[in-house]
Amino acid sequence: MRPENYEAQRQPPSHEYELNIGPNHPGIEGNYAFKLRLHGDRVLEGKADAGYLHRGFEKLMEGRLWIQNLAITPRICVPDPVPMEVSYCLAVEELCGLEIPERAQWLRVLQLELSRIAAHLFTFGGHAATTGMYSPMFWGIADRDLVLDLFEELTGGRVYHIYNIPGGVRRDAPDGFLDRVRSTLDYLDSRLPDYDNLLFTNQVFVHRAKGVGTMSREQALEWGVTGPNLRATGLEFDVRRDDPYLVYDDLDFDIPTEEAGDAWARTLVRRKELVQSIRIARQVIAALPSIAGPIRCPIPNPLAWNVPAGSVYTRVESSKGELAWYVVSNGGERPYRTHVRGPSQMHAVQVLEKLSVGCRLEDVAQTMFSLDACPPEVDR
Amino acid sequence: MRDIDYKDKGGILNPLKSLSFFGRSSVTVPLEPRAASANYRGFHLNDWEACIGCSTCQKVCDNAAITMVSIPDLPQDPAKGIRNLRPAIDYGRCCWCALCVDLCPTGSISLSREYVHTCLDSELDSYFVLPDSNGIHGTPYPKGWAKSEDADLVALERARMEELPPPERIGNFNEIVAGYDANQAIIEASRCVQCGMCFDACPTHMNAPEYIRAIWKGDLEQAVREIYRTNPFAHTCGRVCTHRCEDACSVGHRGTPIAIRWLKRYAMDAVDHERVKRIAAEGKARFLSGKRVAVVGAGPAGLTAAFDLIKQGYEVTVFEARPKAGGMVRYGIPDYRLPQDRIDRDVDVIASLGVKIRYGTQVGTDITMAELERDYDAVILTIGLWMGRSTRIPGSDHPRVKRAVTLLRDVAEKVKVSVPASAIVIGGGNVAMDVARTIARLQKQTYGQVKVTVTALEDLEHFLADPEEIKEAREEGVEILPARGPQEILFKPRKYEVDKIHGLRTWRVLSIFDAQGRFAPRHDEADEQIHEGEMVVEAIGQAAEVEVLGEELTERLDWNRGRLEIDDQGRTNLSWLWAAGDMVRGPDVVSAVADGHRVALSINGVLSIREDAA
Amino acid sequence: MIEGAVSSYEKIKSKTSLREILEVACSFEASARDFYTDLIPKVGKNMRWLVEELAAEEQQHFDLLNGLASREDIAEQIKAEVRIPTTDTRFSDAVQLPDLGAKPDDQAVLQYAMGREQIAMEHYRSLAEGTEPGPIHDLFGYLADEETKHKTELEKVYYEVVHSGGV
Repeated sequence: MRPENYEAQRQPPSHEYELNIGPNHPGIEGNYAFKLRLHGDRVLEGKADAGYLHRGFEKLMEGRLWIQNLAITPRICVPDPVPMEVSYCLAVEELCGLEIPERAQWLRVLQLELSRIAAHLFTFGGHAATTGMYSPMFWGIADRDLVLDLFEELTGGRVYHIYNIPGGVRRDAPDGFLDRVRSTLDYLDSRLPDYDNLLFTNQVFVHRAKGVGTMSREQALEWGVTGPNLRATGLEFDVRRDDPYLVYDDLDFDIPTEEAGDAWARTLVRRKELVQSIRIARQVIAALPSIAGPIRCPIPNPLAWNVPAGSVYTRVESSKGELAWYVVSNGGERPYRTHVRGPSQMHAVQVLEKLSVGCRLEDVAQTMFSLDACPPEVDR
Repeated sequence: MRDIDYKDKGGILNPLKSLSFFGRSSVTVPLEPRAASANYRGFHLNDWEACIGCSTCQKVCDNAAITMVSIPDLPQDPAKGIRNLRPAIDYGRCCWCALCVDLCPTGSISLSREYVHTCLDSELDSYFVLPDSNGIHGTPYPKGWAKSEDADLVALERARMEELPPPERIGNFNEIVAGYDANQAIIEASRCVQCGMCFDACPTHMNAPEYIRAIWKGDLEQAVREIYRTNPFAHTCGRVCTHRCEDACSVGHRGTPIAIRWLKRYAMDAVDHERVKRIAAEGKARFLSGKRVAVVGAGPAGLTAAFDLIKQGYEVTVFEARPKAGGMVRYGIPDYRLPQDRIDRDVDVIASLGVKIRYGTQVGTDITMAELERDYDAVILTIGLWMGRSTRIPGSDHPRVKRAVTLLRDVAEKVKVSVPASAIVIGGGNVAMDVARTIARLQKQTYGQVKVTVTALEDLEHFLADPEEIKEAREEGVEILPARGPQEILFKPRKYEVDKIHGLRTWRVLSIFDAQGRFAPRHDEADEQIHEGEMVVEAIGQAAEVEVLGEELTERLDWNRGRLEIDDQGRTNLSWLWAAGDMVRGPDVVSAVADGHRVALSINGVLSIREDAA
Repeated sequence: MIEGAVSSYEKIKSKTSLREILEVACSFEASARDFYTDLIPKVGKNMRWLVEELAAEEQQHFDLLNGLASREDIAEQIKAEVRIPTTDTRFSDAVQLPDLGAKPDDQAVLQYAMGREQIAMEHYRSLAEGTEPGPIHDLFGYLADEETKHKTELEKVYYEVVHSGGV
């Protein structure tokens, strides 16, 4: 064969290799695949492979009555289910022109903040585990369990609450519930120093987390980053304050920010948000006893309920970022289309891919966890 | 709570403070399942006594986890809306959302506080459960999420029907109910859970769930179409039916039943009459069978049979003694309950299909049964119960002692009636209420005031009239005296004229039925009252005017204790003669409609047998 | 007025032996039976069941009383004396005794029948009260109860026929 006709078979260079992280991997939050191309210990390129948690919820919702979809909504984001429920209900309420009674609004805020607390406790543990420290994870899950106890008492379910309904909530708070919320919040407050000692002032963790997955504010805005991830780059934006819903404009709370935009900054923002959430929850339980009234406005028979035609985009601040629902009704008894704008969809796909370039292998998992990207929300 | 300075403060030793946790007891999960919260959504419980098998839980379940299973030993009672079905849950599908609990009309299904179930692979069937009050494992766990007032999603309250208040209705015969407007009808129709108990309970099995759904969708022509599948007397039934459907309605177990009757009224009024005629004519046979059927009596039973038969290609002639059709519906039910122009519409739809109605033709006098036997292939007797009974107490043969049915007929025919300034009505059923309220209106129009006294054997708890009738009658100024037994009519003697009625003497009734439930009235003769009135109207019972059949036919027919002997198809022992309606089933409009269908089906079955096969 | 009622009662009053009382009672039943039997061809077929049943009932009463009169074991007692009872003329509630006329209808026949049963019941009840406790007293009591039963059965039929439209 003549040299000019010889075509070499193209092979990858010997110092590059491919590595699959996930879909079943302790370094992945949920079921999610991330394909890496590495050069030694450095990532050259990461490719997100979503879809392992695709349950087809958005399409399923088109085939079910409006009321039946309540059972689907909390399942879309498992760690932080309440904003899903509330946002769907807000969307339907806006389409129908329903006015939520005041007591229901306060109960919704209480749920949202408790859910945020539970989600953050979950995330601390996850982030710490990616750096090899497992105790905060056990602590986080155990403390989160107490919040789940509160949800069990209020809603009848620990994770899938199915408690919010267009028009309000399904049940009133049981007697003595607010006292138990208060004692749980007191307990969580008392635990914060322990977490700080173990995790947030732990120099090993601080050094591991600093400088990992850094993004600038411009990059964050360009990539559609929201929530604590955006606030960690210095931009003070929170849907609760900037596009208030329910009774948030009656409540007192700060919006913590950090400047660095790296994993450490993001974790810090969440740590400070936990404190703010506890503060909001305390205000709610102080206000609730004096707010009387129904917990639901009247709705038609759910089996014969046509929601007026229209489309609406309602957003709330979940623990992961700006969560929104886009609901389209054609005037029938089933949604024409529902679409979830899940914050994790940006974070887990494009942001993670971009941030992983140049990252060390051992920091990839930490990057994903520090972004608090929740695959159930990505895939739906 | 204290804030913390995160700026890298604290030394490398800070985490070691957590070593103190070795000294604390760890968080453990006990081996026994811990008690769930009071509102917990665990495995199902179902109170089989309260459950009516309506299947609403099955309909609302978003995962199709519920299947209704028929349990043979359980009671079923279509009239009360009770089925022997019970829900079975597939826990592989159930997501414990508790929508079934919130939408259960009776509140029988609930979720318990039990949440643990494990089994071997060979026991996978244990995930399919037929919940009862004992729970999935037969161990008593308390209820968790159960029906409560704030979590109840059943639409318990009915849309209010506007009605004329007593002062506005007493001086006229205008229809009392105003009817629903479009909004009210849609809201009322939306309450329906589509269980079909109404269908089961209706004597003629009207497709009520379907027409209610059509009204909710705004498709009123479809509603009329569904109505005409079973009932060509819908303007009438939509106003005066005895609504067995509403008595069986599953929402009615805890709330007010769906206003199935008013919704029928709404749909029939909302569609243009010409459109109704065309809808009713759908499915009419395009051929003539060549057979001729005669119907005696143009009431609901007769005209329903005529409607069915004309659509199947028979030539139908109806013989009606009165000048207009409708039977007892026109000549017994006053206008304030059922305006005559609505009856005209029902009749017009049937007549427009080609049914010939010969008015003013009394069978027995103007035409004989023998002629009908000769000239027609089948004859249906639907002569109703037009003879009013009398108590035959002393004085009851006076000309101003009237039978209620006769008086009502005269008022309906706009015959001049001599209105008494005061009247007494004997009887406690709906006919008594009708005639009392009719007289009350005539008195108001003639004298400006009402003086009617109703005496009945029954005490108030057992009055045969509908509670609404009693209430409305009282509002109109009718005095109702229960537990009075009529003894004698008293007269004021006058010299040159017929004695004038002074009033009625009654004794108090102690009991009507004996221990075995047989009619055996006992009176307290010491408690005697005299009720004053110029006219006495008896509304104590009715009978069929079977003399029109003539002696010869009466001998040929089989009788069963005074009524015509018919088989379950409505056919007499004579192969050409059927009977239907009030005369064989008792007074009720919708039962008469059902009966009309029954005999039409039978006649079609008999007459459509081809001659060469006969 | 019911035919023969007053004079028959006088007959009973004047009787002194039980056998004679039973004979008169028999003739009561026989006369009623004949009355009903007479009506059978006169009424329409739709009503005939009623008079046929009534005639059959009266025949049964007749057979019963006849049988009693010829029983051996009470032969002694029926020769005994019977005190003359007083009359109690309370009439049936709300039901009067009409003149039946040429073509009686079902209501008229029933009213007549019930009135007749009432009178018979009262007769026997009075006789029972007027006798010493013993088999004769029991006999009258039994006959009174029988008539009461018949009357309540007829009242049930009356309710069906008159108040329920016959269905």
